[in-house]
Amino acid sequence: MTRVYGYKGNLLRIDLTEQTYEAERITEAEMRGYLGGRGLNAKRLYDEVGADVAPLSPENKLIFGTGPLVGTMFPTASRFNVSAKSPHTGILGDSNAGGHFAPEMKFAGHDQIILEGRSPSHIYVYVKDDQVEFRDASAIKGSTVFEADGFIKGELGDRRVQTVVCGPAAVKGVRYAGLFANQVRAASRTGMGTVMASKNVKALAVRGTGHVEVAEPDGFERMALELEEEIRAHEQYPGRMSMGTTRILMMANEAGFLPTRNYTSGIYEDAHMVSGERLAEEYNVKNRGCFACTIPCSRVYSVREGPNKGLHGEGPEYEALGSFTCRIGNNDLELALKAIDLCNQLGLDVLTVAGCVGWAMELYEAGELTAEETGGLELTWGNMEALQELIRLIADREGFGEVLADGSVEAAKRLGRGMDRTIQVKGMDLIMADPRGLKGFGLGYAVASRGGDHLRSEPFLELSDDPEIGRRMFGVPESTLRLADRGKGRLVSYFEDWNAVIDSLEPCKNIMQNMMLLPFERAAEALELATGLKATPQEMREAGERIVTLERMYGVREGVSRADDRLPSRFMESPLREGASCGTVVDLDLMLDEYYAERGWDPATGHPTPETLRWLGLGFAVKDLP
Amino acid sequence: MRRITVEAERCAGCRQCEMVCSFHHTKMFSPEASRVTVIKDDRLGLDYPLMCRQCNDCPPMEACTAQAITREEGVVKVDRQACIGCGLCVDDCRLGAVKLHDGRALICDLCGGDPRCVARCPTGALSYAESPEFTETPWEAFDRLKEEWGMRD
Repeated sequence: MTRVYGYKGNLLRIDLTEQTYEAERITEAEMRGYLGGRGLNAKRLYDEVGADVAPLSPENKLIFGTGPLVGTMFPTASRFNVSAKSPHTGILGDSNAGGHFAPEMKFAGHDQIILEGRSPSHIYVYVKDDQVEFRDASAIKGSTVFEADGFIKGELGDRRVQTVVCGPAAVKGVRYAGLFANQVRAASRTGMGTVMASKNVKALAVRGTGHVEVAEPDGFERMALELEEEIRAHEQYPGRMSMGTTRILMMANEAGFLPTRNYTSGIYEDAHMVSGERLAEEYNVKNRGCFACTIPCSRVYSVREGPNKGLHGEGPEYEALGSFTCRIGNNDLELALKAIDLCNQLGLDVLTVAGCVGWAMELYEAGELTAEETGGLELTWGNMEALQELIRLIADREGFGEVLADGSVEAAKRLGRGMDRTIQVKGMDLIMADPRGLKGFGLGYAVASRGGDHLRSEPFLELSDDPEIGRRMFGVPESTLRLADRGKGRLVSYFEDWNAVIDSLEPCKNIMQNMMLLPFERAAEALELATGLKATPQEMREAGERIVTLERMYGVREGVSRADDRLPSRFMESPLREGASCGTVVDLDLMLDEYYAERGWDPATGHPTPETLRWLGLGFAVKDLP
Repeated sequence: MRRITVEAERCAGCRQCEMVCSFHHTKMFSPEASRVTVIKDDRLGLDYPLMCRQCNDCPPMEACTAQAITREEGVVKVDRQACIGCGLCVDDCRLGAVKLHDGRALICDLCGGDPRCVARCPTGALSYAESPEFTETPWEAFDRLKEEWGMRD
């Protein structure tokens, strides 16, 4: 076998029950087939965590994976995926974060780290190059994310240690608790923190003193320099530098798809008071970036006067900002920042908190939920005092917080009402874009392998509203019109394949996909320069399709079918009443038919066909078809 | 004297300087082999790239018992053959900008007059120009910015 560069070629398998570990080699076939990161995580999960495994049992596995471009000068290559069966949804759990954890894994010599079993006592795991220590964490069991990170770095006496930490909410078993790198880089969706805590582990700490070598250093450097130049020259560069993703809030409001008051409206009358522009002008003090980033779009804010003086932190991004402003009807920016900071400290997924609280507020305002049931909390729109209290109650699983601690679907079941007002797909509370104004996004939510989520597809080209692009790229002019339903199957499957490739090579999707800098052609070139593995652009896309299809099969094995590829009923039945996206609903079935046809999946069941599976090299999964 | 200067308020902590430095000197990517190290405080969100700043008087040079640290054309240099890896220089640098790698002292060599980290810094936090000696350690810079920006601990 020729030497493969870029990758470290190692999987570190850590048995928490026995407190032992061993390194395994990752094969060249696995690299070619699944690329790394998200793709390789999906393969391990498929092979090792079957339908019989309960998400919070010791048999579930928590898999950290990064990609071949990470730990180099490749712009934005800084990310990792963490995957397990999700305690929030019961299907594929998978979340992605940046910061500095992923490159540290590479410098320590690992592309993947798997935590399996359950530790007999509460510990944190310390990986120092090829050595693993199981260290007592009883002193920080209930600590916040920030405290735990500080404690571990202090105890190890090494500030260069990188941690991924779960917060107290995870320890209490809140089913949507996340994992946090560099304190605020959140892999917060699908409850990966909950899985870590269920294994009696507070954190994974990594320190690496090794190096990453690439196959063609000069060519690799040339590509990095080209990309840096293109990023700086890009029209989105200034906006991303000053606002990061928070620039989306005003854009979404103008386009009328800004989720407001639990998706009862697509415009927020006070958007300007909570906008990315206002955050940048009044509160931001500096930029911060993930590892090797040319466009460090995270921002540090500080509140320098008034009742919240002294409050400071990093971020937030659009999803969190919108979650605690328009989504729950709050126009006080500082109180939103405070609530986001609290969620970060407690280790909660802001989107799911907002999904649950927005749902409860809608019920409360409609008179379907009483103050008696909420323990006296007045859940009127924008009541931030109540939100602050409720976040603590959720993290402690106390009072009305207990009702909301497993997501909105479980909350509706507990109350015995309000299921029609939950805004979720496959149990995962949705993100911050109303699909009535972005039809392709709607299809993306419906079919996303981890439930209601945009990051599997994010077909942003439909925002162009330019039919020429649709005609040229997808052969259907309507595919790039945001309010049209036709052509979206092709649009979404293309973007899903593309994102799977990027999530597996592990640069930043915001830059490499949204700014269109790493199409399949260039991804193939980057892979070859980094690793020496040759692949055609078509083979790159096939790798993406293989990953998407295997993730689908993970769901199918858990019982997912077309019947689950649904959207909340209001998106399909009730048009928005005002704004630039009013008057239309989502024709989901039309889009699903197109999508399954595009994918080679059975239109009746939504299951991949045996032929499709075999063609993609997934013949081993045929036996799992119902 | 031309020196590298650091504006801590602009450093985004991306550590591309570490990658560029190690690549320029070794053709590999390794923070350990980098002559620049970014100091970070994630709680405050502050960052500071630390490297030799070419002080007029250089305690590590005086401390070196092997005379492995010298100044050539004004630039501090390590003679890797002569270095015995004792680490006295590491202890004596006022900034903490010297480290041992592979058992030898590692100090910024300004890339022969065109420091690559400066050229590649994405936020312009680094510059290379005629400038006085450094006046502030990373920790002092963090304290100043924390005060200036009104941050609690």
